[in-house]
Amino acid sequence: MKRPEIENPKSKTENGLTRRAFLRLALLTGIAAGAGVIYKSTEAVGFERWFRWMARGQLARWFAPHARVALAACATYDADVLGAVRTAWTRAALPNLGGARVVLKPNLVDFVAGYPCFTHPRIVEAMIHLAREQGARDIVVAEGTTFRRDSQATLEATGYSALLAREHVAFVDLNYDDLGEIALTGGYTKLKTLFVAKTIRDADVVVSLPKMKTHHWTTVSASVKNFFGIVPGIKYGWPKNTLHVQGIPVFLAELVDSLPVRACAVVDGVVGLEGDGPIFGGAVPSGVLVAGADLLAVDATCARLMGFEPAQIDYLDFAAWAGLGVIDARQIDLEGDPLARFQRTYEPPPTM
Amino acid sequence: MDFLLQSQNADGGWGYRIAGMSYVEPTAAVMRVLPSSSARNAARDFLLRAQHADGGWGIAVADSESGWMTAWAVRALAELPEAHDAARRGGVWLLATEGQRITDPDARRVIQKLHKIDSALGGWPWQPGDAGWVHPTALAVLALVAVGQGEQARVRAGIAYLEDRACSEGGWNIGNPWMLDKQIPATIQDTAVVLRALHAAGETRSAGRVAQAIEYLRNAVARAQTPAELAWGIYALRDWGMGTGDALARLEALQQSNGSWNDNPFITAIASQK
Repeated sequence: MKRPEIENPKSKTENGLTRRAFLRLALLTGIAAGAGVIYKSTEAVGFERWFRWMARGQLARWFAPHARVALAACATYDADVLGAVRTAWTRAALPNLGGARVVLKPNLVDFVAGYPCFTHPRIVEAMIHLAREQGARDIVVAEGTTFRRDSQATLEATGYSALLAREHVAFVDLNYDDLGEIALTGGYTKLKTLFVAKTIRDADVVVSLPKMKTHHWTTVSASVKNFFGIVPGIKYGWPKNTLHVQGIPVFLAELVDSLPVRACAVVDGVVGLEGDGPIFGGAVPSGVLVAGADLLAVDATCARLMGFEPAQIDYLDFAAWAGLGVIDARQIDLEGDPLARFQRTYEPPPTM
Repeated sequence: MDFLLQSQNADGGWGYRIAGMSYVEPTAAVMRVLPSSSARNAARDFLLRAQHADGGWGIAVADSESGWMTAWAVRALAELPEAHDAARRGGVWLLATEGQRITDPDARRVIQKLHKIDSALGGWPWQPGDAGWVHPTALAVLALVAVGQGEQARVRAGIAYLEDRACSEGGWNIGNPWMLDKQIPATIQDTAVVLRALHAAGETRSAGRVAQAIEYLRNAVARAQTPAELAWGIYALRDWGMGTGDALARLEALQQSNGSWNDNPFITAIASQK
């Protein structure tokens, strides 16, 4: 009977290497090549940063608590908007505003007649009432408009001047506010610091009150993109292009990571905007408010309500990968009315 | 004038509100409307202290990067013989600063399609590294004319840039007359500052888009409601010898009891221009 051949680990290859040494060498070469590819592909941001973001993202995916996002029905702006905002706020377990300095940040990108591109003043009005109910110490409405140096004209045209006068609430033009310089710790862009308005820096809570809409640069514009308005025009110009050229997904990640204040969001999806956003799109009655403290989860939910896949949206995909929030539906606890009730198919923005 | 004197900060500058942080733009704008006085000297000293070694100015003392507000400081200091050297150095910084131009034919075609603009033309940016935009370009033209550099090729290039960025219905906005197939409307403030720059640079009404822009501005000022829009519009139209109807009366009606417009030294200075 022939003895079965047993591989001799010390048997040599034709080049004189033992088989085991050859396999080790191949393994090491593979690891080195992989590391080289990773190093090369992360050269622009630095391997250490890339690894930090990747590791944080992975940890978040496995260990971070679920994000909570609330949906509340609000059929029209003539409905009980305060009731809907209160419901959304409670369902999302957003912080009590008692004693807090509260900044309400709507999206007033511009006024062009016939296009519902800005947060409806009724949403802000309801939020003012809710903050008062909860005993907020100070409430201001603040925005740094994108296309016009004179925000007063925009406030008049959008109905905000009348609202602010009626409610005796001050408006702070974030384009001209006193400024403070904050360190940007994320390292997502080449910027080391960012000037931000003192009103934002000194607030206890900033409530992002965006319009749910499409956007030709970011596909979806909601609570995160709305924070472009907190950077001052006097430093970064109109339309703050200096920051756009940093790369929109990475700059938005930088904003989320470095925000010097607690933030949450209530999104105006009562009437959304589809197609040629952020300004020239068409109205879509979605009849919903979306609220939450994880801004990525809020925006991902908005994307789903509009018929978009969050992972296909660059700024959401990048920020979630880097562990700045969650966009995976399995990690988002939706509270209140079911998503399907409000889901519409928004026309996508034109490709730029 | 009393409001402006009372709202000056201890450092000699002005902000965009009473007791607000001093910035270069409002300080220069107020300084230009003040008569010779200790307040004006303090403003001058504020600007001289804020000038960077490269000749430019940031937005405030705390801003170490020179940018668009250099044009405001140059204009203000050019009017004072003792500050001519600082103004001249600011002019040199402006001449050396240009908005990013895109000359690659393919990229230029894409931008032409999206915005209907020629991205190879060089205006002035808000900040170095940015593209050119209408407002800082117009301010730079005004400043360079003020320091006797109006015949420089860069100024002519800036005017060509402004012509290119005009809205097809007349006037200017921030610098994007189109977004895909949609026209972005002109604004009073951008149109006014460009018209003032073109007038200062010696352009005539028959040049390029001037007549159309004046017409836009006349109509827009007739409907304007805010002090900033009225003030900018009135003085641009006056530059071009145009009547302003009841706009001045409407502007005066918006003046507050403390003499200001909106408690804002900058807007008050614009509204106080002669």
